[in-house]
Amino acid sequence: MDKPEFYQRLAEILDVEEVKPEAVLKDFDVWDSLAILSVLAMADAKYGVSIKAEEIRSVVSAQGLANLVEAKQK
Amino acid sequence: MKCTFKNKRISSIITVAPSQEYRFDDEYHYFKMTEAQAKRFKKMMSLDRHRIAPPEVCASDLCLFGVQRLLDAGVLKKEDIDAILFISQTPDYILPPTSNVIHGKLGLDHDVICLDINQGCAGFLAGLQQAFMLLELPAVSKVLLLTGDTGSKQMTRENRLNYPINGDAGAATVVERCSDGKTIFMDVKNDGSRYKALLIPGGGYRMPSSAETLKLREVEEGVVKCLEHIEMDGAAIFNFTMDDIPPQIEEVLAFSGDTRDSIQHFFLHQPNPFIVTQMAQKMKIPPAKVPNNVVSLYGNCSSTTIPLNVTLNAAEPLLAGTRRVCLSGFGVGLTWIAAVMDLGPLDFCKLVDYEGT
Repeated sequence: MDKPEFYQRLAEILDVEEVKPEAVLKDFDVWDSLAILSVLAMADAKYGVSIKAEEIRSVVSAQGLANLVEAKQK
Repeated sequence: MKCTFKNKRISSIITVAPSQEYRFDDEYHYFKMTEAQAKRFKKMMSLDRHRIAPPEVCASDLCLFGVQRLLDAGVLKKEDIDAILFISQTPDYILPPTSNVIHGKLGLDHDVICLDINQGCAGFLAGLQQAFMLLELPAVSKVLLLTGDTGSKQMTRENRLNYPINGDAGAATVVERCSDGKTIFMDVKNDGSRYKALLIPGGGYRMPSSAETLKLREVEEGVVKCLEHIEMDGAAIFNFTMDDIPPQIEEVLAFSGDTRDSIQHFFLHQPNPFIVTQMAQKMKIPPAKVPNNVVSLYGNCSSTTIPLNVTLNAAEPLLAGTRRVCLSGFGVGLTWIAAVMDLGPLDFCKLVDYEGT
């Protein structure tokens, strides 16, 4: 998985210039149900994985999210 | 579960929308959205406007208005109706069945089957399957399939998750026996273990209506509801639409011997435009074959999105000739049903506004 590309896609969803791996998801203004839906869609469309909302809510950082998607790919 | 039917067809479809149209731009303040939040939500969900029935108008009123138009147009005769199916989650009463109320209002004779089915977004297909099964009876040659919902009565306007995408509508579809020799292919699936993904917890007999079930609470920012209102696990529904529906459509295409190319229209249920776009991409179906404007213009009207989709987007070709179509309904239950069939030439195919009675 191309991590920088993943963080760029996440930045687009979160409506910011860039997202650092250590960034805490719930610190973003737009981290809401729409953003979670967008992440589910991105994971499915770009990485071919189905993640559950509970799984997203259980991760804290952008890196945690990237790891979750990567782990599902295997 | 796979099933096939032969020598049956849809002959007429009329969809009826309430005339009251509301624009998202005029409503977002009810959802406590800032302008920026509203803009983002509107863009992502491609929202523009929707139709909401006034409090005194029930789903059955919309359906009955449609039936009257079919009678007036001469494409349906009262004496030919052998069965009435009413598919809804917003019936007139707890009892009797609304199909009986409609039977009475139409003044039909006694030799008619009346059946209500509690179904939602897969409701058009659940009803179609039931109609085809009834048509296997020698005594039944014409079924009036009524789908309708006034979902706005199961939520407050101050609910940003459900209200902006909801629409109220009803439809009347005539399903009849014919001798064209063509086969209709269907696949029906259910998963009751996920029944909580779409649920109205109160007001039934598991949790009877009380002051407590009617108490309004702001459960999260911009979401005011009581226990007798719709509860939707949006993420679970999204997972469902991505994980379960594309494989079923693949399955039904394989079953009928069709491909993405041989199907001319994919009339999918439309929960919201975002989901339909994602599904079409995932299935690699060209967007031109998957109309996706029902929610933006009318709202998600549950069992009626498919007839609304057909009458809004394909009336002309379906009145003129035959189209190879794939229909897919999915939602509450959870239930998901897909079908492949030839549709048209139809005797009647129209979307009209409700004009009261």
